[in-house]
Amino acid sequence: MPPPRPVPPRLVLPLAALLCLGCGEPGTVLPSPPSVWFEAEFFHHVLHWAPIQNSSESTRYEVELRRYGTGLWRPVSSCSQTPVLSCDLTMVTLDLYDLKGYHARVQAVDRGRRSDWTVTQTRFSIDDVSLTVGSVELEIRDGFVLGKIQPPRPKAAPAGHTYERIFPQFHEYEVSIRKVPARHEFTNKKVNHENFSFPIPGEFGEFCVRVKPAVTSRTNKGVWSEEVCFLLAAKQYFTGTNLTISFALVLLLCGALALRLYLHRRQKLPAVLVFGKPHPFSPVGQLPRPETRDTLHAVDEQAFAKVSPELRNSELHGSTDSGFGSAKPSLQTEEPQFLLPDALPQAGGTLRKGDPPDPESSCSSASTDSGICLQEPRWVPQAGGQEHGGQEDSGIGLAHHSEGRTEDELCGSGGGHVGPLEPEAAEGEDPAAVGFQGYLKQTRGTEEQAVTAGCLEEEASSADASVPQLRMCPDAQEAWPPPAVDKGYLKQDPPEATLAPLGALAGQWNPAAEEWSLLGVTSCGDLGTAEWSFARDPAPLGVAAPGGLLGSFDADLVTLPLISSLHASE
Amino acid sequence: MKASLWLLGTVFLLSSAHTLGLRRCLIAMDMRHVGESFQQIKGAIQAQDTFQNVTILSASGTLHSIKPLDVCCVTKNLLAFYMNRVFKDHQELNPQILRKISSIANSFLYMQKVLQQCQEQRLCHCGEEAANATRIVHDNYNQLEVRSAALKSLGELDVFLAWIDRNHQGTPAS
Repeated sequence: MPPPRPVPPRLVLPLAALLCLGCGEPGTVLPSPPSVWFEAEFFHHVLHWAPIQNSSESTRYEVELRRYGTGLWRPVSSCSQTPVLSCDLTMVTLDLYDLKGYHARVQAVDRGRRSDWTVTQTRFSIDDVSLTVGSVELEIRDGFVLGKIQPPRPKAAPAGHTYERIFPQFHEYEVSIRKVPARHEFTNKKVNHENFSFPIPGEFGEFCVRVKPAVTSRTNKGVWSEEVCFLLAAKQYFTGTNLTISFALVLLLCGALALRLYLHRRQKLPAVLVFGKPHPFSPVGQLPRPETRDTLHAVDEQAFAKVSPELRNSELHGSTDSGFGSAKPSLQTEEPQFLLPDALPQAGGTLRKGDPPDPESSCSSASTDSGICLQEPRWVPQAGGQEHGGQEDSGIGLAHHSEGRTEDELCGSGGGHVGPLEPEAAEGEDPAAVGFQGYLKQTRGTEEQAVTAGCLEEEASSADASVPQLRMCPDAQEAWPPPAVDKGYLKQDPPEATLAPLGALAGQWNPAAEEWSLLGVTSCGDLGTAEWSFARDPAPLGVAAPGGLLGSFDADLVTLPLISSLHASE
Repeated sequence: MKASLWLLGTVFLLSSAHTLGLRRCLIAMDMRHVGESFQQIKGAIQAQDTFQNVTILSASGTLHSIKPLDVCCVTKNLLAFYMNRVFKDHQELNPQILRKISSIANSFLYMQKVLQQCQEQRLCHCGEEAANATRIVHDNYNQLEVRSAALKSLGELDVFLAWIDRNHQGTPAS
């Protein structure tokens, strides 16, 4: 084989150039750092950059700095040929807080090769400085955690370039409290001063506090400080203030108890004065029932005598439902002296002297009506009248047989008659008056109210205050003979009795012959209107009797100042 | 009579208080809002500035040496500079950046009205140093091509806002 031929000299250089392509000429093939940026705190300005691709142990970096507004890049000697990826440029950027701006650039160097420069994208200024605090001091006192924030005091800061001077106003701090060992449970609050406080958390254990500053007039970001922790033990709750307050509360409580016991003992009655148990309270029974007429009330007739006629005859005293258009309670409830006391239970309801008036027997819709009921002065004739059994005040009391009496008994010839038609003349009283005992007085109208008042007064002042007595008033007597029924009361004859003319009855009263029956027609069933009969003082013709009841009456009756209400049952 | 005197006294006191407040009338303004708007467009604007060796506002001694008595005048003049020249000369194509610039311009307009009251109260005296500083700014602006000058002036808004924050809300650092 023949030996290889030598390379001609004219081809050596091109071949060498081709072989040296991978050797990397300085600054031409070395990649530049991808990014460069500043990370700065108060007087701590650090330039950072990202490493180049395919860096090696021999890769180094160069840093240069330029102030904004000048054309010269100045190398940073402290960061020349640095293997690290950051450079502290604080000392060369001290006038940053004098509204100066800077750009920095970084170049990679490796075995003589240099990369291109990579420049910071934005101008480095005071806006890029992150705010921090120097330290946080905590103290527990009187149930509070007192905190004190110290501003940063960097050594690199020139004299006079303090945090308070560069950022004089609008300081704001965010305080975060965390209970160990929880790492994500924070209680944050904002304070506007370096001194802050908060009450001791209501738990035992270790707590850590950290602070982040801010300046409200600037856009600078804040950095959380290092945590400062403190331990809350049980003994810390027993502060002097807490003990004092607790002791005072205990004293107050004891004093209150002692006072109560003392007062309780003083109020305790002696044994001899201890009464028995009261009757059981019945709310239902205690409820006032204004419409009831079952309760008897002793009435002071003398007191009642002072009642003016107007008051007596006022609407308050009107009948509840008499058929005359009144819906007021009957006078009987308030003037029991005019009531027919206990008429029904006594086979006619004779009201004997001494018997207290029985308000319960007054005319009412539901009560046992014992006789002729007193009505309010004005009345409206009503056809059809009021039926027995439910009417409040018919003017003529209805002979209820709720007491066990039958209609026959009540309205019959015998015992059904309503007393008090027994004359009791032996007592020296006006027979007419006596005869009217048990009848409820009924006044006709205003023209008779005066007369009635006088009569009422006289009656009220009668000797027997317990017995309502009716008697003829003098004036009335002058007008007509004293009727058997004073002022409007009608005598009701026994079933065999017929209506007698008024004229025949006027002035005559034969209690023995006449048998009164109670009330009303309507109460006596078949009696009806036919059973009506006039008493001594028959009702005037002013009374609009139902039907033709009054048709047979003598016309003279018209002048009789009597008012009666007739209830005729159909 | 007493009532009128009392009224006059009250008006005088209120006027004084108002006048004193106008010296720092920018304090009450929310400068943080303006700063946040600029921070969002700062990188894009400054990255387009190719003349890094030239400055309009940050020239040596331009704003740093302004005395407190000249602060109102310089502030008023620079506000007018930005409103009458920079915002008008700058042609922004990016709508997001344009929105932020408009927001900043509106804030400057409000600041101008506030300072107008200072001027009416004769509290905005323009001395020689204030006039010189204003002239330097305009000269620097005129040395550049209009679009480059406007772009650079926009990029230097952080300097202007920092100067306002320092001079109207606290004592200068130096």
